[in-house]
Amino acid sequence: MKDNLSRRMVIPGEVVAEGDVNLGSGVYREGDKVCASIMGLLEKRKSFVKVIPLTGRYIPKVGDFVIGKVTDVNLTHWYVDINSAYNAILNPRDYFRDIDAFQTSLLKILAPGDMIFAVVREITPTKKVYIAMTNRGARLLRGGRLLTINPAKVPRVIGRKSSMISMIKKEVKCSILVGQNGRIWIKGKPELVEIAVKAIKRIEREAHLSGLTDSIKSMIIEEREKL
Amino acid sequence: MKIGQPEKFIIDGKRLDGRKPDEMREVKIQAGVLKRADGSALVEWGGNKVIAACYGPREVHPRHLAKSDKAILRCTYNMAPFSVSDRKRPGPDRRSVEISKVTRLALEPVIFTNLYPRTTIDVFIEVLQANAGTRCTGITAASVALADAGIPMRDLVPACAAGKVGGEVVLDLFDIEDNYGEADLPVALIPKNNEITLLQMDGNFTKKEFEKALDLAIQGCMKIYELQKGALRERYGGE
Repeated sequence: MKDNLSRRMVIPGEVVAEGDVNLGSGVYREGDKVCASIMGLLEKRKSFVKVIPLTGRYIPKVGDFVIGKVTDVNLTHWYVDINSAYNAILNPRDYFRDIDAFQTSLLKILAPGDMIFAVVREITPTKKVYIAMTNRGARLLRGGRLLTINPAKVPRVIGRKSSMISMIKKEVKCSILVGQNGRIWIKGKPELVEIAVKAIKRIEREAHLSGLTDSIKSMIIEEREKL
Repeated sequence: MKIGQPEKFIIDGKRLDGRKPDEMREVKIQAGVLKRADGSALVEWGGNKVIAACYGPREVHPRHLAKSDKAILRCTYNMAPFSVSDRKRPGPDRRSVEISKVTRLALEPVIFTNLYPRTTIDVFIEVLQANAGTRCTGITAASVALADAGIPMRDLVPACAAGKVGGEVVLDLFDIEDNYGEADLPVALIPKNNEITLLQMDGNFTKKEFEKALDLAIQGCMKIYELQKGALRERYGGE
């Protein structure tokens, strides 16, 4: 992670660029200057600036995979808690199998308390969030263990081109699903799941350090040998 | 003369606690002190000790308070019963309701509330130990807590007070000066454009004294601003 070191930490209000540049997230324009609006790491390219957040709640984005918990059901849709300021809505037509909502009770398909892995389909201007389970990989989660981490640390858990998460999956032989909303679902042998949980918690704690994949790998191998 | 009032506030150019008139008390800021809050800060400012916690953006309860086009900011200032020498009766009172409100007004202009419609950002300020100037300490802590929670904001908001004791304008009153002094002027500002978001005055200044006190308070704010930035950097290993 060579370029990780060149990323500078910025604080709200800090001037990060001047003049004609494209703005990503976490920055705002004030007159001729561009300032950071959140605490994070500055990513600056030729004509583009953005700040990668270090903390913060999950803000839904279209296309994100999330792990949600069904909180309520009514005649036409489910309400799903996605660990965000906004509750998500799941319509029966976005469920992965055909449902005739007039014939079957939605409660029989997904009941409050069920955990699902779904994708954010649409966000309306009034911030209504619609999720869908029609995508590949979306499913109902049965068993396993759920872990919640800071959503800002999720990219680090996944790693570049999912290097980190595939390494963990390989080393502990568990199935792991990572939601962008900071929820992680792990299923496998209990003692191996325990190691995976330990590893992920360590990644969350040391997310700002570089060379993490290797040290996590050696940690997992070490823990595995103890068993 | 009131009971307990010192005869002189300034002796040989030094104040009762040994500071120069334009000298501040020692300030220590630490970000991220609470695990369960989204963002938090502890500020130790002389004898003041204040914790601020920030939650959000999150769903608004009760629902009817939500604004459909922006997030709302709710601030709560509270003093612990043990924060002062006589036990303070717990719970909100006229004074803490006022300070909650001015804190909200001081912080609202810097937050990009339009990004998160239908949500709330909650800030809780707990005074553990009071020694005059808790509202400034509270605002200072709250803005660090907001930044620590990753809430988009234009700038941090430092706050500092100036006052008048024994006929002289001084920076950052401590409790004896606050209780028996002639005037107190808490100021909070947005350093980026020198916009003042809090300005209250307790007591009397002449116009000239007021201008001097305001200048002094702004200088104090700038010092606090540097400490706030330092505290946030230190949170991630320092750079």
